[in-house]
Amino acid sequence: MLFNTLNYAIFLPIVFLLYWFVFNKNYKYQNILLLVSSYFFYACWDWRFLFLLIFSTLLDYFTGLKMSEATSNKNKKFWFWLSIIVNLGFLGVFKYYNFFADSFAQAIANFGLHVNPWTLKVILPVGISFYTFHGLSYVIDIYKDRIKAEKNFLDYSVFVCFFPLLVAGPIERATHLLPQIQRKRVFDYNRAVDGLRQILWGLFKKVVIADNCAYFANIIFDNSVHYSGSTLFLGALFFTFQIYGDFSGYSDIALGTARLFGIDLLKNFAFPYFSRDIAEFWRRWHISLSSWFRDYLYIPLGGSKGGTWMKVRNTFIIFLVSGFWHGANWTFIIWGLLNAIYIMPSVIFNTNRTNIDIVASGKYFPSIKEFFQIITTFILTVFAWIFFRSNTVSQAFAYIATIFSTSLFSFPFFKKGTLSFPTLILLVFFIIIEWRGREQNYAIENIFNKKPKWYRWAFYYLLILIFFLFAGSNQQFIYFQF
Amino acid sequence: MKKFLYNLSLFLLPVMLLCYPIDFFISNNLKKSNKYAEKEYPTWNDIYESKVNSELLIFGSSRAWIHIDANMISDSLGILSYNLGIDGHNFWLQNLRYRELLKCNKKPKYIILSLDYFTLKKNEELYNSEQFLPYMLWNKDIKNATISYKGFSTLDYEIPLIRFYGNHDAVENSIRYFTGHLSNPITRIRGYQGREENWNSDFDNAKSTMKSLEIKLDNPTIILFENFLKECKSNNIKLIFVYTPEYIEGQKFVSNRAQIMELYNRYSKEYEIPFYDFSNDSISYDKKYFYNASHLNKVGSQIFTKKLIDTLKCSNVFQNKMK
Repeated sequence: MLFNTLNYAIFLPIVFLLYWFVFNKNYKYQNILLLVSSYFFYACWDWRFLFLLIFSTLLDYFTGLKMSEATSNKNKKFWFWLSIIVNLGFLGVFKYYNFFADSFAQAIANFGLHVNPWTLKVILPVGISFYTFHGLSYVIDIYKDRIKAEKNFLDYSVFVCFFPLLVAGPIERATHLLPQIQRKRVFDYNRAVDGLRQILWGLFKKVVIADNCAYFANIIFDNSVHYSGSTLFLGALFFTFQIYGDFSGYSDIALGTARLFGIDLLKNFAFPYFSRDIAEFWRRWHISLSSWFRDYLYIPLGGSKGGTWMKVRNTFIIFLVSGFWHGANWTFIIWGLLNAIYIMPSVIFNTNRTNIDIVASGKYFPSIKEFFQIITTFILTVFAWIFFRSNTVSQAFAYIATIFSTSLFSFPFFKKGTLSFPTLILLVFFIIIEWRGREQNYAIENIFNKKPKWYRWAFYYLLILIFFLFAGSNQQFIYFQF
Repeated sequence: MKKFLYNLSLFLLPVMLLCYPIDFFISNNLKKSNKYAEKEYPTWNDIYESKVNSELLIFGSSRAWIHIDANMISDSLGILSYNLGIDGHNFWLQNLRYRELLKCNKKPKYIILSLDYFTLKKNEELYNSEQFLPYMLWNKDIKNATISYKGFSTLDYEIPLIRFYGNHDAVENSIRYFTGHLSNPITRIRGYQGREENWNSDFDNAKSTMKSLEIKLDNPTIILFENFLKECKSNNIKLIFVYTPEYIEGQKFVSNRAQIMELYNRYSKEYEIPFYDFSNDSISYDKKYFYNASHLNKVGSQIFTKKLIDTLKCSNVFQNKMK
């Protein structure tokens, strides 16, 4: 079930009404409802993978308990590694097995040996990377004695399977989400309205911005050999907005939905395209994953304690792993590597925490220096996305080579009449609203809040009208594949 | 909670109330755009505005639409004719067009049913689904005929505006028509449109992707087809089967064509329906009359329509009328 479908528009109000009117006597009943709804939500994709989800939940729940009951360190270690190996094993089989088999066959083909790799014809279970990382953080936290194992299976299951975050995050932490699940939720009018507002903005980002940009990005990337450098650059720009609208839109809908149920999820995006350097970009893009890698990979590897060399090594490792997390393809690995290279100067010169606050705080416009910093960071990001979007590494290199040809200075042209004026207007409108709201949790959080109510309502009606009239053709959420 | 639900209802009320007028606005302008939806709107409009009202109707796929000039038939036979050929669709939706026609127009006296090797097949996808957009809201017959295809969901037929969600082109065409920014030439005349095209690569492309084509006949469509034949007979509507010219190489490409033709011949005998098969006519051997293996170009369709008229004149189908 996708967030931008009618099925979800029916599912959400039903669960909401049951949650606050039927199951509201006790938070435990509400948790049962959330779990059943979450399983139903997940089963709408493929009910068979529900068993995998339940198995993964059971595994982490029991290994967590066993670790907390372990009398010796050896025993604790056993349960810890059992959980890690099985979790990563599933991820490996479903997500990476074919990649390794093919890569191995190609590698030995270079030595004149030819083998037919035995590949698995398996579908990637939706959200496996997300719920596996959920479980892993829980198990690691118990192993490191940061948290105690959860004894209530129902509460733990809701933590892993809560439907707004189940398939594409944010990747939650037990310390943040579990306490919210274990206490009575009281309906809060302002919080619920805020949730609806964030859902509305998320839908706008996904349906209007991402899906419309996807249309052009797909045409250009799928036929890249036929286009000029300027057109290819335009295609990369479209994909840049597509992926942001798609993923941050999804996160907004997830956060807004959770807030309707009185639960706050971790913020996942903070206006990353207004970043002044790559380090800032990575503090603002897919925050829950970046912080996961920081806490469970970068710091355990030694973080920045061992001097510059260790920082450089660890930074490369987390970006490579991050690239690989996104998908079993060399394009993602190169995308990760490229970002590691981008961030390296600030790591070496210790300037990676120069830009902490949002740009031009309290001002209408950035300074000229800030403006050029934003543009430079943005263009670097655009080039990295070319690898992310391309089907193969060679396509990405050919794509970039064409951009750096003289045809970059020709007028972009790809399919007569398809670059519709409304799409460009909507993109400009989107950028203005995002810039205007960059100091808030999401762009329209406080829009017109000092004006009479009807201003806000008129703006919401405008958004609804736009996404009925200018919704792009429905595209799968990009991050569902991860 | 009460305040939340009250305010939410208050907020959604204008959205609900405005849904239908906006839907009406989009639908009404969209159906006037002659070029969109493979040019099917003018024909649907004539059906719903009771402008078909003809004694002779031509049903079939795109091969009917672009092969048989209804005006020529009207002029030569003195029988008002209309071509209701529907692009890309088999008998399942040709039948829908007939049902919708009967709602708003007088019953025809004669029907020419243009047969193809795929008439009794049923596609999975609802090809050119945009053609139904302006007419499908709360229309049970369209819903019943199209819901089995991959195309629309139940709510698309029931809730205003839902079917336009994500249908950027349709909305844009509607607005462009309303603002006068749409070139809107009339291209179908009484349902017919000749195509001024030369032989293209469609057939070569098809040959390069597959050796031959086997048509899977669909049982529910066959039952529907037979019921239609029975209904015409009981309603005194004179049916005429026509197999319009098909390029000879294309005929060989369909592996079970003989079996399909045998079926049509059986129906022809069983229901005493004249069957004029132009598969072996000289036109079918000459590439210059086609733009692909299944479709005649304008020159070919004019020559063919003349031959069809001559054939009909020689037969006794219209004898009473022509006297």
